This record gives sequence, structure tokens and C-alpha cells, in this order.
Amino acid sequence: MSEDGGATPAPYVLDVSVLTAITRGDYGIMTFILGLDASGQPLVIPALAIAGASLDLRSDDTEAILHGLERLESVMIAPLRDAEQAVRLAAVIAKTGLDPWDAHVAAVADAAVCPILTLDGARWREHAADLDEPLHFIEIAEPDEPPGGPGPRALGALGGTRSRHLVYLLPCFCSEP
Amino acid sequence: MSDRKIRVTVTIDPHLAAYAERLVEAGKAPSVSAVVNDALEAERQRDQKARRLWREAAERADPDKVARMLAHVEAQAAQLPASHRYR
Repeated sequence: MSEDGGATPAPYVLDVSVLTAITRGDYGIMTFILGLDASGQPLVIPALAIAGASLDLRSDDTEAILHGLERLESVMIAPLRDAEQAVRLAAVIAKTGLDPWDAHVAAVADAAVCPILTLDGARWREHAADLDEPLHFIEIAEPDEPPGGPGPRALGALGGTRSRHLVYLLPCFCSEP
Repeated sequence: MSDRKIRVTVTIDPHLAAYAERLVEAGKAPSVSAVVNDALEAERQRDQKARRLWREAAERADPDKVARMLAHVEAQAAQLPASHRYR
């Protein structure tokens, strides 16, 4: 029996750095996200983070890529729903000094007790203790097998569950309906 | 698939119904059905484009690199407190 006893994994909250890579058409990051989706890992995308990632890139392709992201089975958009959430966002901005889009990521992660998925670990390390409860984050990186670090061989990565899902389940999204 | 149109009953917002009617009255569309048909076709093409872009990414990405990134993320997730790992 697995350690989690069959529990659902907590969602990852995607931050602006990840969404920016996706909107720029980064093949590796897009395929990485497809892999997470194929493995059933829930992903939450704060609406303001989409705005932040779209600031400099507003082409038809950007819109289509974001549309495709929203269509993924495991993806859920977190809107700024009402006045209470807007006020809470303002409080997070005041406490952290983050931009509204990053603050929305922090607010969602804090309220939902979820880790932030980022390409910019340094940014979240700096703000990890800004709120009442610590923010946890996971950094997307390709480690060069550091001594004693979580290198892919030590983890058996290529035989891992998600790797197999990546190979077999990508066609679910990529095939024509 | 047959090209013959099929009849469906749908419910739409009043302002969209009014918009479709205006297009017909202005001679921009032959019928409300044509407006709805065109809108669905545009949505289908939007989905198709999104699917193509994501498929191309999956085809061009380095699968070993992606697998290493996934493994690295899994390793970090395993270190999180239980409150942040499971529901």
C-alpha cells in the first residue's frame, strides 16, 4: 500500500514563471505540464498569474496555448471570485510586497494549503515566511546529479510512474476528438 | 460524417440571442442557426489550434529531460509536510 493510502495529491499552484515559459512555447515545460496532467496531478492556475504571464506576449498562439492549458483535465483556474478574496489579496500584497499576480499565487497557495510550482525558487524562498503560515514551493529544474542531491538516477526517474504515464497518456490530449 | 444539418435545441443568453438576430437583420448572416453554427466552428478551430500547439511541444521536447524534471519535482514533493502533499 502506498504511503498516501490512496489520497488525492494536493494541487500544485502554477506561478507566473511557469506560465510565462508555457506562453512562450517552451517545449520542455509544456511537456512537463502534460506529464503532470497525465499522472493525475491537480494543477491550479490563479487567474491573475495568467494576466502576469500574458503581459508581454499577447499573440494568437499565446491565447491558443493558454486555451489548451485550460482544457487539460487536471487544470483548474482559480478566479478572484468576490470582495472577500479581493481584500485578502490586498492583504497578501501588503504583507509580501509582491506584484498582484505573484500575490494571487501566494494567496491561493496559502488558502488552499498547496505548494507553489515555480521555475524561480529564489523568488519564493525570499517570501516563504512572509505570511502567517510558511509558503512551500517546488522548483522545476533539471538537476545535474549533484553529489548527494536528488539526481534522477538515485530516484529511478526513468522507470517512475509519471514517466510511464508521460509516454502512454500524452495521446489522450493530443488526439483529435 | 454526413453534411446534412441536424436540429438541436439550445438555450442561450438573451443578449447573445439579440446579437444573432441583429446580424441576421443587418444581412451579415443568413439565419440565427448560421450564427450559432459559425460560433461553434470558430470554437472547434480554437480547440484544434491549441491541440496542435501542445502536440508539437510534446513531439519536440526532449523526453529524458522532461523525465528528469518530473523526477526532481517528485523528490521535492516527497519532502513537503503531509498537509501540502495530500487531500
